[in-house]
Amino acid sequence: MKKYPIYLFAAALLFSSAGCKKWLDLKPQDGIIKEEFWKTKEQVSAAVIGIYSSMTENASGTYGRTNYIPSLAELLFVYGESRADNLAPGTFASIDDIDLVNVNIQPTNVNANWRPFYRTINFCNTVIKKAPEVLANDNTFTKTQLDNYLSEALTVRALMYFYLVRTFGDVPLKLNPTLSDTEITPIPKTGKDSILLQIVADLQEAETKAVSAYGDPASDKGRVTRYTINAIQADVYLWMDRYADCISACDKIINSQKFGLIRGATLNGPFVEYNDNWFNTLYYTGNSNEGIFELQFDAQRLNPYYPMFSSSIPSRRWIMASDIIDRVFTLDLTNNLNYDIRADGASVRAATTTIWKYVGANSTSLRAIDQSYAHWFFYRYADILMLKAEALNETGQGQAALDLVYTIRRRANALAATDLAPAPTDKNLIQEFILQERSREFAFEGKRWFDVLRNAKRNNYQRLSLLLNMVAISVPSNMQQSAQAKMQDKNAHYLPIYIYELQTNKLLVQNPFYR
Amino acid sequence: MKKGYFSLFLLTFTALVVLGVLSCKKTEIVETTTSDVNIVGYLDKQPDSFSLFRQILDRTETSSFLNAYGAYTCFAPTNSGVRKYLTLIGASSVEAADLNTLKDMVRLHLLEDTIYTGSFTDGKLPVITMYGQYLVTSVENAGGSSTYVVNRQAAVTKSNVKTGNGIIHVIDNVLLPATKTIAQQLADKPEYSIFVQALQATGFYTRLNTVSSNPADRWLTVFAESNQALADSGITSYTQLRAKYSQTGNPLNSNDSLNMYVAYHISGGLKFLGDIIGTATHETLLPQEVVSIKLIDQDVVINQDVFNGVLEIGVTIDRAKSDRAATNGVFHDAKAHFMVKYRKPTALFWDVSSFEEIMKLPAYYKRANYDFNRPTEASQPIKDSYWGWGPLAGTNTLSYIYSTTSSIANFAYNNDVNMLPMGLPNRPVWWEMKTPPIIKGRYKVWVCYRAQKQSSSSNMLCQVEVNGTLMQRTMNFTENRPTGTDAELEAIGWKRYTENTTNVFASRQVGVIDFTTTKQQTIRITPLVGTQNNNNLDMIHFIPVDENQVLPRFRPDGTKIFL
Repeated sequence: MKKYPIYLFAAALLFSSAGCKKWLDLKPQDGIIKEEFWKTKEQVSAAVIGIYSSMTENASGTYGRTNYIPSLAELLFVYGESRADNLAPGTFASIDDIDLVNVNIQPTNVNANWRPFYRTINFCNTVIKKAPEVLANDNTFTKTQLDNYLSEALTVRALMYFYLVRTFGDVPLKLNPTLSDTEITPIPKTGKDSILLQIVADLQEAETKAVSAYGDPASDKGRVTRYTINAIQADVYLWMDRYADCISACDKIINSQKFGLIRGATLNGPFVEYNDNWFNTLYYTGNSNEGIFELQFDAQRLNPYYPMFSSSIPSRRWIMASDIIDRVFTLDLTNNLNYDIRADGASVRAATTTIWKYVGANSTSLRAIDQSYAHWFFYRYADILMLKAEALNETGQGQAALDLVYTIRRRANALAATDLAPAPTDKNLIQEFILQERSREFAFEGKRWFDVLRNAKRNNYQRLSLLLNMVAISVPSNMQQSAQAKMQDKNAHYLPIYIYELQTNKLLVQNPFYR
Repeated sequence: MKKGYFSLFLLTFTALVVLGVLSCKKTEIVETTTSDVNIVGYLDKQPDSFSLFRQILDRTETSSFLNAYGAYTCFAPTNSGVRKYLTLIGASSVEAADLNTLKDMVRLHLLEDTIYTGSFTDGKLPVITMYGQYLVTSVENAGGSSTYVVNRQAAVTKSNVKTGNGIIHVIDNVLLPATKTIAQQLADKPEYSIFVQALQATGFYTRLNTVSSNPADRWLTVFAESNQALADSGITSYTQLRAKYSQTGNPLNSNDSLNMYVAYHISGGLKFLGDIIGTATHETLLPQEVVSIKLIDQDVVINQDVFNGVLEIGVTIDRAKSDRAATNGVFHDAKAHFMVKYRKPTALFWDVSSFEEIMKLPAYYKRANYDFNRPTEASQPIKDSYWGWGPLAGTNTLSYIYSTTSSIANFAYNNDVNMLPMGLPNRPVWWEMKTPPIIKGRYKVWVCYRAQKQSSSSNMLCQVEVNGTLMQRTMNFTENRPTGTDAELEAIGWKRYTENTTNVFASRQVGVIDFTTTKQQTIRITPLVGTQNNNNLDMIHFIPVDENQVLPRFRPDGTKIFL
């Protein structure tokens, strides 16, 4: 009897020491850490899909407050459209949004927060750094598969930098991942030319590694294929004025015979026949034969555009410019059966001054809020044709360029009033014609500002007047002169670095115009 | 026990020593809530740039209040700017300069509010300086880089510096207050010699040469015509100008046309171009005459208007020669000669249902009905038509009604009417519209509507106000036109305005109004008794009292007939 306590004690000791095996183990029990990740090809796949998912993340903070961090999808719109002439701030637009329109941008403007872009870039960098390590761990993971995944990460990273370099000019170039807090270091800006060269190099590497198809439409249009890379290349080369490279990149897509224009309007004798499904196929459903790279919003991941545009939301942020129908699309007042299919009921809905592309269900009714999953169009086939036309015109092939432009115009039944009818030798007028046609074709697709800036800066800002004329339209009359004078400074074409970035990264220098 | 005492003593001793050591460390208590410096503190931190301005602040005894609590905007000139300024005023150093001049100079650089560059426009700043003159901002591009420029004198080299009691904009030159009046400035410029002579002859020179202490009439805005502008209209000397206009021979007489010419070029208030274009018309010193302002592309244009369908080309303001600030106002340069136009009163047959907003909707204008909602009180879907925001948003809808077949609009002018529910308790309580420009004169006002009763008991008695003047008669949207000949009807204030003779298309003469100014007038309909939805307004006629009130009549196809 007397020895029982000792046995009892020994047993308890044994039990407790067995139960406390993880006492000194600091790994979280409800998560996964990097030492245990990066082991199988499924994990690489998950990380790559995570890159795309990061581009569809929501905004955080409260709109209109300083704590607001916009989502990537809305910044793509804001950067591409807000300083251009097709839209106007809605009644409840924040001061920051209005200041963008008024060319009155301060470093405190939340729209200058590039965090969503660098977040996605970090995901890409992580895959580029860590995915090759998996080859050693997982024997079923092949070099080809690895290359395919790397091409996706390289391409998305290049695309993000392409947006940054066009929006901010010089930006920090970060090519290695930040995996833990200890790796956060201040880095200075890199010149925009070097960034563009990095983008070109990344895309070239990605092109050799990419797949041409995944086999299902959502992946073919939502993930990076070789044609996505060619499309970005065409855009980048045109931005860099490398016209021959741009044309050859476009030709790769055109010659693949995998893409086409969704039928819009066809001329049947004197009558125009409209394809009633054009809007539905191209914009409402998405992933059509015309799409090349689209952000895949769906019922589980709605896009941020509903509260931004929908006329059912009184506090919507953006509305169409009031004169867009007259100025951009025009009307045939004598025959209401003759209209540009891209105008009322597609790009905009004039009756409610709504930017319609992302919130319309058909030409007259709105989507329900839980149906707000219109895709964001990075590139579609029409864009490739127009990019090629622009490059052809710059290399003196005016007739070939015009043929492409008229292909686009016929598809949409562009009205005669918008036909500038340039002679094939009239390079300047063709340039103007292409720019105007792009404004109609890609209205509100986040292209307008970059289109105008690209044409304005060509040949050492030969056509700066394009920007001046544009702000004369979009800026309120009492600030028009100031806005124009600001636009004459080419540093003002790029946004300031957000104040928070300047405070946390001491190596950053504010962009010259905003000092 | 003894051992116990000892250990207790040891413990106490140790505790005291430890306490003593600790108490020698002085805890630093932060008493300030922020380490931000104030405006003066910021200047002190950078003596290389601001030592001279700092000296001036000390000498003028302004540094103490700029170092205290407040919300100021300070335009801080750098040392090089101050040196240029000292040379300009002929002082060898800050100490040698005249104290009052320095005080004025400092006051011109201070605003009693925080104004960030975000509030800078093409015109004046929203807040006046402590000196009592407004500062004008603009953006200028030099050598490819654009900077904000204040008063066309100094460029902002560093903006929006936040300090504890305000913000600082660093400027490269000292701002100089305007010391001359508009009259003196114009007189200094030989290119305005004819205009100045006209000013002197008409007595307005004195008015433009005084700085009134009464803030209500201190500021004036002048649209000056240069000799070149006058020469373009064939006037090469003051004698010619006088010969052309001065019909009484005494330009001091306010009925003299030369006097009127000058008065028509002066407007009350301080209006830089950035301010002018915000308002469509500006009253001039010539009683009841306005200049209209339009921004066409980038040009500010005076008096470009459409009267009775005819576009009158206006006069452009030369931006580069305008916005010239003076102690009592500002003057602008008109590129051409302009004079007030005397127009004969002309009838306006206003089709209220052809307004800009509906015409932009090709799917609806002259095709189908369309509703304009006011979901919130702030929204104004139609620029020139506005109605009280009733308690029920559902009735806050102005409907554009178009039909060639329905009995509501089949005989209406252009087959369309505007319908607005009105009346307490649930419907909008007034309906206000801005007319197209109407030439000043005496008019009879006719409200033309398609009478309709929502239900057999509906009533919709309304009063009409024009420019706030209550019209002599009421009108009722449910009342049909009585029977009678045109003459009989006109005698009791009715007429048939449609070609069709159905008595539901009625026109009621609500009264006579004197328009003292040629401009867009305001008409407001206010329900007095009853409430209903179907108030179908088709047209409003403003017909000069001495003209035929009954004809023309109007057809659904948009044409007029005179029988």
